[in-house]
Amino acid sequence: MRSTLPYDPRSDVLREAGWVERVGRRAIASLSETWALCATLKNAISSDFAPGLAARKLVHGVMLTQVMFTGVQALSLVSVIGLLIGASIIIQTNMMVPADGELIGRVLVAVVLRELAPLITAIVVAGRSGTAIATELGNMKVNSEVLALSSLGVDPLRYVVLPRMVGCIVSVVALMIYFSIVSLSAAFALGILSSGASLSSFQQGVAGSVMPHDLVLFFAKGLGLGTIVGWLSCHFGLEVKSSPTEVPQQASRAVVMSLLGCVVYNTALTAGFYWLVGPPMPAP
Amino acid sequence: MKDGLWLEDTSFRYGNLWVLRETELHVPPGRTLIVTGDNGVGKSTLLYVCAGLLPASAGHVWLDGHLAAGKKPSELMREGVRRGFLFGQGGLLSNLSALSNVTLGLRYHADVFGIDEKEINARARAALGQLRVAQTDFHALPAHLSLGVRKRVALARALALDPNFVFLDDPDGGLDSATRHLVYERLEGFRDDSKITVVIATNSRQLIDRLGIHPLELAHGHLLPEDESRRSRRA
Repeated sequence: MRSTLPYDPRSDVLREAGWVERVGRRAIASLSETWALCATLKNAISSDFAPGLAARKLVHGVMLTQVMFTGVQALSLVSVIGLLIGASIIIQTNMMVPADGELIGRVLVAVVLRELAPLITAIVVAGRSGTAIATELGNMKVNSEVLALSSLGVDPLRYVVLPRMVGCIVSVVALMIYFSIVSLSAAFALGILSSGASLSSFQQGVAGSVMPHDLVLFFAKGLGLGTIVGWLSCHFGLEVKSSPTEVPQQASRAVVMSLLGCVVYNTALTAGFYWLVGPPMPAP
Repeated sequence: MKDGLWLEDTSFRYGNLWVLRETELHVPPGRTLIVTGDNGVGKSTLLYVCAGLLPASAGHVWLDGHLAAGKKPSELMREGVRRGFLFGQGGLLSNLSALSNVTLGLRYHADVFGIDEKEINARARAALGQLRVAQTDFHALPAHLSLGVRKRVALARALALDPNFVFLDDPDGGLDSATRHLVYERLEGFRDDSKITVVIATNSRQLIDRLGIHPLELAHGHLLPEDESRRSRRA
């Protein structure tokens, strides 16, 4: 056992078990993992309401830094992806319905605004910042930094998890808006140049298909996807116990689970939302 | 009122491996406890349990009458339990400079201490100065500091909080002679302070002799005086 670390790998050695016991153990492990996941989210959110004006001020500073790392520094990558996605959608739609600016506008709203902007932005943030967050927190666990924070009277969930979660939420929402603008602009420009469709027909198509409730869905997706990425990345980072070899394992787990969570959430929200409010596109 | 550190029927285990079994212990304010023990026996874990950084598997740990575990760290601080902890490798936050490591706890609890930014900086610089950390190292990241400087910064971080509990894990491990003596001087200061409860985990005979305190040995989950522990092992 390493004397400086609060974990002993030998304690994980289990005796040979029958299949009933194995199933039971797995069920208990899954339940406790789900419980721990929910506890991370609940405790991180509730930590913002804990007393301490000085702590709040300090944590808000960390949040701004996180928005800088997760949002501002991802702008160039999101610009390139948004530009190329807009271009590829125009290439495909041009082949199907050349010079129909209004229809292309409707397709762009359905594909870019409603689906791709939230999902691709969340994937970029998960791939870029999710790994960084999980790795950073894992290393903090290995180096006893999380224990050190507690010893200083600093709540790790408030100082470490909450700012990263908020940073991810703010960044995903802001990058979604930015992605939509870049992608639609690129599609308009390429559409006008390649198919000769007019700008006004594009605008007509977009304006005609954007519903007020699309805004609700757009921001619900942004908030949810940002939370999923920040929450899971922090949770799996803090799951590291004592060994540096666990850090890449948990970082990979954080990204995989974040991506899976984002896709499931995005699909479920789309299906549930339109089941409730009806089909988004008015008949042409 | 349970002043100082109290372990009440406290046990701790990692899976099937017992570190501490049904232990009763009281270290009043102004007293120093030194714990020795073989490598891997759980001395550091004992410190974590005593400081409330790890919850006990059974029993209770009290710090000045407050339950050490089960509360948010900031709640303990607000209740007046100020813990200074020196980790074996320093435990400095790797993304903060030496100075920021020392100011972090002060800044987080500036409203509790009733201090402003100017005083935070003054206290941090004074603590670093007491441990003779060079001004040129104030803005360096821990990765760019030697182990000796990291340990001195960590000790300054503990000192800056004006602690009433100090937990030290292998405080002189890996230090050169000059740094070791500097750390010893500071530890003598803690030992002689009637308001501070000190727990030290070490196997350094030099440190034990210097502090002149009879240590307890941790073995098989039990804390016993060293000579008694040896006798029981021989038996």
